[in-house]
Amino acid sequence: MMQNKFKDKKKFTDFSLGSLNLSLAVDKNIFLKELSFIKNINNELFSIRVENKLIPRNKYKIEKVFEKTDVNFTIISIDFSQNFGNDFFKGRISFVQKKKNITDFIFQLSARWHKDIPKKVLLKFPFLINIHKNKNFLKPGDIFDGKKRINKGVWNLHEYPPSIISDNLGNQCLGFEFYDQFPWQANYNLGISEAISNENFEKLETEVQLTRELTDIILMKIYTSSQGREKIFSLWKENTRERYDLRKYHDSKNRWIKKNYLQHFMFAYGEEAFDYKKMEFKIIQIIKEGKEFGGYDSILFWHQYPRLGLDESNQWQLYKYLPKNYETIKKIVDICHSHNIKFFIPFKPWDIRSNESLDSHAKSLERFIKATSIDGFFLDTMSSLPDSFLKIQKKFPSFEFCSEGTPREQRQIETLTSSWDQIGDIRRNFKVEINSNFFRFLFPEHPLNLVSRWSVGSDKDLLIKRAAFNGMGMVIWQDIFGCWLPFSIEQKKKIKSLKYILKKYHKIFFGDNSIPLIQTLSKKIICNEFSNSVSKQKIYSIYNFGSNKIKGRILKLPSAVKEFKQIYGKDVNIKIEKKQNIFYLLANLDVDDVILINIKFDI
Amino acid sequence: MKSFVNKKIFIESNEYTYRVEHLTLEGTCSTDHGPRNVKIKNLLVDKYPVTNQQYSFFLKKTGYQPKDSQRFLEHKPNKKIFNLPVVFVSQNDAIAYAKWVGGRLPTDEEWQYIAAGPKYLDWPWGNKFNPSLCNHDGNKLESVNAYRKGESWCGCVDMSGNCWEWTAGIHDDGNHQFALLRGGSYFYAHDHWHVGGGARKNNYHWKLQILNEGMNRAATLGFRCVYDAK
Repeated sequence: MMQNKFKDKKKFTDFSLGSLNLSLAVDKNIFLKELSFIKNINNELFSIRVENKLIPRNKYKIEKVFEKTDVNFTIISIDFSQNFGNDFFKGRISFVQKKKNITDFIFQLSARWHKDIPKKVLLKFPFLINIHKNKNFLKPGDIFDGKKRINKGVWNLHEYPPSIISDNLGNQCLGFEFYDQFPWQANYNLGISEAISNENFEKLETEVQLTRELTDIILMKIYTSSQGREKIFSLWKENTRERYDLRKYHDSKNRWIKKNYLQHFMFAYGEEAFDYKKMEFKIIQIIKEGKEFGGYDSILFWHQYPRLGLDESNQWQLYKYLPKNYETIKKIVDICHSHNIKFFIPFKPWDIRSNESLDSHAKSLERFIKATSIDGFFLDTMSSLPDSFLKIQKKFPSFEFCSEGTPREQRQIETLTSSWDQIGDIRRNFKVEINSNFFRFLFPEHPLNLVSRWSVGSDKDLLIKRAAFNGMGMVIWQDIFGCWLPFSIEQKKKIKSLKYILKKYHKIFFGDNSIPLIQTLSKKIICNEFSNSVSKQKIYSIYNFGSNKIKGRILKLPSAVKEFKQIYGKDVNIKIEKKQNIFYLLANLDVDDVILINIKFDI
Repeated sequence: MKSFVNKKIFIESNEYTYRVEHLTLEGTCSTDHGPRNVKIKNLLVDKYPVTNQQYSFFLKKTGYQPKDSQRFLEHKPNKKIFNLPVVFVSQNDAIAYAKWVGGRLPTDEEWQYIAAGPKYLDWPWGNKFNPSLCNHDGNKLESVNAYRKGESWCGCVDMSGNCWEWTAGIHDDGNHQFALLRGGSYFYAHDHWHVGGGARKNNYHWKLQILNEGMNRAATLGFRCVYDAK
C-alpha cells in the first residue's frame, strides 16, 4: 500500500512502496533524499549533458506527479520537461511495485531536436554514484573482508546479480539489478550492470539516443530485504528464474546427467588410454584407475583433436580408422555400461566443412548412436545446443549434451542441460581462486564439472577445494593432448571424498534454496549454503581465505541445531554454541582450509 | 604417364646447427628443438618422395602385407597416378620399403639439412616463400616432379608442400609415442584448430601422435629415403 505525504505537490514527497521507503525532493529537479535506511543522500537522480553543456540543475519543470495503487501494483511517476537552447526534453521517473520486495525504477527521456538534428547526449546518475561510494555497498559477488570490498563471486552469463547495500548491522539491505539484454540495446541500462563492478564507476557517463517519444533508459530493479543479503540473492534468483522454462531439467529420462559428478577425459594418444603393444584401448584399466578418484560417472573419448586436418578426413571418418571401425567404440561403450559409466564423444563445430551442415552432423550422430549406444555428445568450444542436435533427444530421450562452455543466454540454459565450468589460461599465469560460481546457485539443476586443464601442483589442490566449496563435480583430465599432468595420490583421495559426499547429499547440494556467499562472523571467511525447500538439513561450505588461522565463531545459524558433523576437509574441531537462544558454529580453520559441514535443524 | 628415375643425390658429411620450430596447438613436443650442433654423415637421398610406381613395384617384388592393413594404400595406386607420391603408408610401411631398397627414413635433423642446407635456407628454394614453387593449398596431390624449380640446395624436389614426409624413429616421452613429420602438404584445413597444413618451412616439424595403423596412415602422408654412404 502506498503511503505518501505531500508537503507540497511539486516540492517534496515521501513515498512508501511496501518495504521500500523513499524520499524525493521535487523542485526544478528531482533529488533523491532518502532510500529506505540510506539517509541524507541528497543527490540528483540524473544529470544530462548535451554536446558537452550540462543542463543546469534548476532548470527542470515538473509537469505532473502521478500515483496509483490498486490490487495489482503501486505506481508513482513524475513527469518533467526542459527547454535547453533550441531543444526540448521531456522525461519521466517512475517507481513501480508489482511484487513484494521488488520495485522497478524506470527512467525515460525524449527530445525534440532543433531542425530535427540530433545531438550527443550524455547521462550521469549522481544518486547511484553516491550509493556506490557508501562503505556498505557491495558490488555483485563482493564481500567485506574487514578493510575493503573484495570479489569472491563469479558469473559468466547474461544475468547480472544485484549490487547490495546494507545497514551497519547487515540486516536491512537493498539490491540493485540492471538487467541487461543480449544483444545489447541502445538506451537500455547502458551497460551499468558491468560498469557498477568497475572502480571507475564514479566517472561513468553514458550516451543515449533520444527520439520524440519517451524511451526507456534505466530499468533498475530494487530488491528490499530485512533479512540480510541472502534474501536479496533469493529474491533475484526467484525473479530471474521465473522467466525460464526449465522443464527439460526435470525430465526423468535425463536424470543420469545430474549425477555425472566425475567425467574422465580419455585422451586416446597416450599410455593412460592406449596399449601400444596390443594396439588397443585400456578401458578396463582406466575404469580401475578411476576408482582411486571415487569412480568415473562418464568417460569422454577424445581422438579427433589434434589430428583433424592432417588430411581431408572429417571428424566422423576418424572413428572408422580406429581398430575394427566403429566396433572399437561399441566395445568400449559396452564395457563402460557394464560398469554403470556413461560414454561421451565430442563434436567439433570448427571442423564443419563447406559441404556439411549441422543437420548432416545430426544424422551422422544418429547413426553413431545406433551403432555404438553412446550416451552423450560433448560440444567442443561451444556453449549452446544447435536445434539440429536438439531433435536427437526426441529419438533418443536419454541422450545428453554437455558443452565445454557454460551456457550464457536464456535459450541456451533452457536447452543445454549440462556443461563444464572451465577456468584457467596457460598464457596468463593463471592461479586457481576459490570463489562462488553464481551460475551454479542460480541454476542448481544444471550440472557443472569443474576443470582447469593446465593446473598443476598447488593449483590442482585449489581446484579440488574450489569444486568442494561450490559443491560441484569435476573433469578428471590428466593427459592434456600429450602432456601428462596427473593428480597425486592425496589429490585423488580428496576427489574421492568429494564425490562420496556429492552423491550422498545430492538432494541438499543441488537443492533449490542454495545461496552463495552468506554472511559469516569472520571477515576472512566465505561460506556457501546448500539447502532445499523440503529438508531440515543444510550444508555449509566454508573457506578461510585469510593469512591467519581462525578460531571460534564462524557462522550464526538460523535455528536450533539437532545434529551436526563435518563431512569434508581436514578435521577442524567443529562445535555448536548456544547463547541467548542463538546457535553459533565454531571451528579452528587453518589458512586455505575448505570444509563442509552438514547440520540438521530442529525446525 | 611418363615415368622417371628417382635418382639419389649425394650429401657430403657436415656439421650444422639444428633449430626447429613447430605449432603444437595445445600440448607439447618433447624433443630438443635446438639450437644444437648435429653431425650429418655422408648420405644419399632420394631426389623425390617415393612414388606410387616405386611402392607398387616394391609390393610386386616382395608381396609385402602390413600386419594391420587398415587404410593401407587406400587411394589404390594405379598407372594414372604412378608419379604421385605414395601416401596412406604408415611409418612401418615406409620403413619396410626403405629396407628393401637398402635405405632408411631420414632423421628429423637429416631431413632439415637436406632441405635447408649449409646456408640455413627457410624454404627449399631460398629464403622467401613462393607458393608457385610448391603444391601449397592445392586441391590434390601432384606429380613429385611438378615443381622442379622448387628444388633444394642439393637438388631434392617436392620437399615443401604436396605431401608430409615421415622421418625416422618413434619418440617416446614415457607417456606418449609420436613421430615427426616434415614439409607440409597440399591440404590446408580451414580452421586454426586443425593441423596447420599447406607448404611448411624447412625448420618446421609436426608431431604426429601414434595410434593404431589406421590412424597412422593419411592421404597426405608419404616419405622419401636416405642411404648411408661412405
